[in-house]
Amino acid sequence: MKWVTSPPASAYRLAGDLGVRVVVANLGLACCSMEVEAAVARGLLVPDDGQDPESTVLLVSGTVTDALAPAVLSARDHLDGEVVVVSFGACASTGGPYWDAPTVTKGIDQLLPVAGYVPGCPPRPEALVAGLLDVLRDRP
Amino acid sequence: MRLVPRDEWRTVLAALHASGLVYLDLLTAVERDAGLEVVARVVRPGSAAAEVIVAALPADDLRIDSAVPVYPGAAWHERETAEMFGIEFTGHPDPRPLLLRTGLGAPPLRKGTVLAARVVQPWPGEFEPSRPDRAGSPSRRRARPLGVLDGWPDEGGRP
Amino acid sequence: MTVRGVIALIPDACTSCMLCVRECPTWCISLQAHPEQVVDEGARRPRTVNVLDAFAIDFGLCMYCGICVDVCPFDALEWAPDHDYGAATRAGLVQPMERLAAWLAPP
Repeated sequence: MKWVTSPPASAYRLAGDLGVRVVVANLGLACCSMEVEAAVARGLLVPDDGQDPESTVLLVSGTVTDALAPAVLSARDHLDGEVVVVSFGACASTGGPYWDAPTVTKGIDQLLPVAGYVPGCPPRPEALVAGLLDVLRDRP
Repeated sequence: MRLVPRDEWRTVLAALHASGLVYLDLLTAVERDAGLEVVARVVRPGSAAAEVIVAALPADDLRIDSAVPVYPGAAWHERETAEMFGIEFTGHPDPRPLLLRTGLGAPPLRKGTVLAARVVQPWPGEFEPSRPDRAGSPSRRRARPLGVLDGWPDEGGRP
Repeated sequence: MTVRGVIALIPDACTSCMLCVRECPTWCISLQAHPEQVVDEGARRPRTVNVLDAFAIDFGLCMYCGICVDVCPFDALEWAPDHDYGAATRAGLVQPMERLAAWLAPP
């Protein structure tokens, strides 16, 4: 089966000087993605300026179905260099409220290694920033 | 709501379409004791005119004519209804599964279909603090998850 | 109305009645308890109370509906405003009783 995928459309940086230069590629699949947009609206994230980042984060925000799982892997492969995967919200982490659905993947850690989980349904925009900093500051 | 004989489903839809109700708002199914019902709602764009028609399917013969020749927009709805309820829409031009991978077994939205995830995963509410050594034993209090059927999951369950 | 923060537990208020565990739509709460006999002075018979041994919420599954907070007859579950509790592992999203109790503790 062929899948139509493109690189994640929206790439952001953390606003302000938080000590990390990161590009956050938001793979928005469901309502959690609205909170990523809320983080942009509040100025916690700013559009990517194209400079060379220290880290690249693939932020999976939303419900992943088994049908969509190849697209998540494809999105990771579309990003350059080492990619840190962060699971944003209950659905991406475990399947969330849909954990019993036969079509829903019970957490993206079944597909690819996950460096950090941000809990919430949906998480607040501040939780996104906190979760990203947790992941990036722990790294060498 | 209008009950329609199953054999006249497409004829009735064609007549509704000809009368100006050209937009298919919804097509789905409902499970009843005797079998399934296919439900369609058609509307006249730009007005409040609408009609809901229902056709009953016996449990042992879940087939009905596809509405796609009359309402092309029914194709997506029928693909979803087919895989979720196990109904065959005869004459559908492209009856591929929509969301489910093949080989998943019983149609998920049928009442008799047990969600495998809820069978594999022990229900934490089964625990009874006054008798911690006898988890799962019959109790005066409710010891069954909300929304599951009697006899679940061992006896297949009936509503 | 929730603040979408975190759900805190007040262990002393919990009677292990299991209501929250059984009402949770995502099955994200688990509880362990055992019965104990308490002899009250002057009482003819000892009475049985449930003693809470363990309580955990899996915030990887929780949908923050607040039903557990609403349904608790003794207000042992409360909303707290904290939101910074991400984890590096899936297991880290499961918070045991001690951690749940700390969300409401004075700083």
